[in-house]
Amino acid sequence: MRIFALSTVLIAGLAVAQSANAASIYAGHAIAAAVCSQCHGITTPSAGAPFPPLAGRDAEYLKSALKQYRDKTRVSDIMNNIAGSLSDNDIDNVVAYYARLKP
Amino acid sequence: MKNTKKLLSQSVIAGLTALVLPLAVQAKSDNAQNMHQLYEDNCASCHGSDHGGYLAPALNADTLKGRSPTALRTVIMTGSFDTLMPPFYGRLTDDQIRGLVSHLQKTPTLDNPAWTIDDMKSSLKVYVKDESTLPDKPTYEISSMDDVIGVAARGKYGRGDGSKAVFIDSTTHKQIGEVPTGTAAHIIDYNPANPRWAYVKTDTAEIFKVDLYSMKAVRSIKTGFNGPGMGVSRDGKYIMAGSFVPHNAVILDADTLEPLKTFELEGVDPDGKMVTSDSGMVIGTPYDDIFAIALENAGQVWVVDLKKDQDFPVTKITDVGRHLHDAFLTHNGRKLMIASYDDSIVAAIDLKDRKVIKKLEAGCVPHVGGGSAVKVDGRTLGFGTNFGDCDKTVVSVWDLDTMEVVKQIPVSGGTESPAAHANAPYVAVDIISKDRRARTVQLIDKKTLEVAKTLDVGGHAYFPEYSADGKFLYVSAGYSGDEVVVYDSNSLKKVASVSMESPAGIFSHGRVKYMTRGLSPDEMEGAK
Repeated sequence: MRIFALSTVLIAGLAVAQSANAASIYAGHAIAAAVCSQCHGITTPSAGAPFPPLAGRDAEYLKSALKQYRDKTRVSDIMNNIAGSLSDNDIDNVVAYYARLKP
Repeated sequence: MKNTKKLLSQSVIAGLTALVLPLAVQAKSDNAQNMHQLYEDNCASCHGSDHGGYLAPALNADTLKGRSPTALRTVIMTGSFDTLMPPFYGRLTDDQIRGLVSHLQKTPTLDNPAWTIDDMKSSLKVYVKDESTLPDKPTYEISSMDDVIGVAARGKYGRGDGSKAVFIDSTTHKQIGEVPTGTAAHIIDYNPANPRWAYVKTDTAEIFKVDLYSMKAVRSIKTGFNGPGMGVSRDGKYIMAGSFVPHNAVILDADTLEPLKTFELEGVDPDGKMVTSDSGMVIGTPYDDIFAIALENAGQVWVVDLKKDQDFPVTKITDVGRHLHDAFLTHNGRKLMIASYDDSIVAAIDLKDRKVIKKLEAGCVPHVGGGSAVKVDGRTLGFGTNFGDCDKTVVSVWDLDTMEVVKQIPVSGGTESPAAHANAPYVAVDIISKDRRARTVQLIDKKTLEVAKTLDVGGHAYFPEYSADGKFLYVSAGYSGDEVVVYDSNSLKKVASVSMESPAGIFSHGRVKYMTRGLSPDEMEGAK
């Protein structure tokens, strides 16, 4: 009985750890479509757009940039607003999506 | 929809004001001139050169009355999700955006700018002078030119490098060529007499003559300011194009694109009022040497005989409906089914007798988008989509022999275009309601006339089209999707994806063979 309870806790703990760590590119794709694609494109920005491409960019860089935009330590009219709507989890997911795309 | 009444009194006032303006105000109108140019260069292809709207809403003093300038500035900066409106942040300066908002809130709907046959003639551009230098067969591997599928790629901004006609081999799903069009490509038509020629019409009413063998534009001409109407005659000798702005249509020589005759679109509408009119659909038919053109606001269909020596005589069919739009052909091209927005009917016209046969009930705001017709158990069934947002969202099915309504099939939202093929089991319709449903396409079983499946395509999914062999279903995942998605017609499994910017209309070269999507090529036999 005790063993069973313990293993349940362990499994539950593992599951939590996994959902916290493994960013979902599917969830990231949904955020990219709903939030980012208007300017950056779902894969690449418009040929005529002044916005930087995100596909294949370094995940750590994208993550820190989004967080800086969110706490306004990096200033941009548009990005401060857009990033303000994203949770840590959203950022992990959307970064995982764009970082894995081939540029 | 678009307000097409000419605001004559306002333009007279504007004219008088210009005469008596003091100098200080004249200086101000320089700025107005700049803002007008900015509007022309960035906004007019969708919102209309007359500020009366086109693909996008009308932007003028009336429609923007009371709107917050800050909110309007935000929309221009960030664009509008779930629509074609792109973000102009970084493309226009903040001063320009503020200037535009204030300019638009002051500007009335303008009179239709003129675009005469001489304007058209001087807009003719020749990119390939000597067409005998072009290759005499395709420069790429393809088993039949019927397998070419053309996609109107709008480009995010409706202009620029992303705007082109993209051509794909629908057996391999690989791009075989692309032709830049400057502004958004809208309609692609093929020459029924010679498989090498395609014609691409843009949002700003330029028509490009495209050589599909070398994938090059050889000529172009600007036929107006906007309007999607374009048709090619069955002998491949003439093109007819119609505009929303200004209210005219033109017949071109399909070979040289030289304009031969223009038509002023005006007439008495079903309520007895004399109106000038937008051009709706323009269609050539395998049945006869004619064009049919819809006068949207006059509710008339004109049949133009392609007799050059008699100056292209016109037969006018009146009282067809209130606000006509698009149409499809049936019965060897003798019968024309035309959608009428405001009275929610589709009118059947006999092009031989040149009269209305019957007005059939449709859903709300019928938009047949090229239509579909299929033979099922000995009956020829026509399918009509409806893009109105009302409680009753249906796809209409008519028996085209008896001209009776067979069924109004409930679907999950407004629809814009049905695709069918003689060899494919489903009629595909695009759901365009502006929420998550816009990502989907619904498939109607030809036999049961029920929705059998819903596909989540992604992006704003629209304009389904079957490959010429009927084996594959192509759908544009437009707006944020930026790809054309290809499905197996039977299993409905995704088999390929082709990337491009804001794809919209998809046009199979097979259309010239089966006249209306869903019919078999045999249907054409009787016509020739």
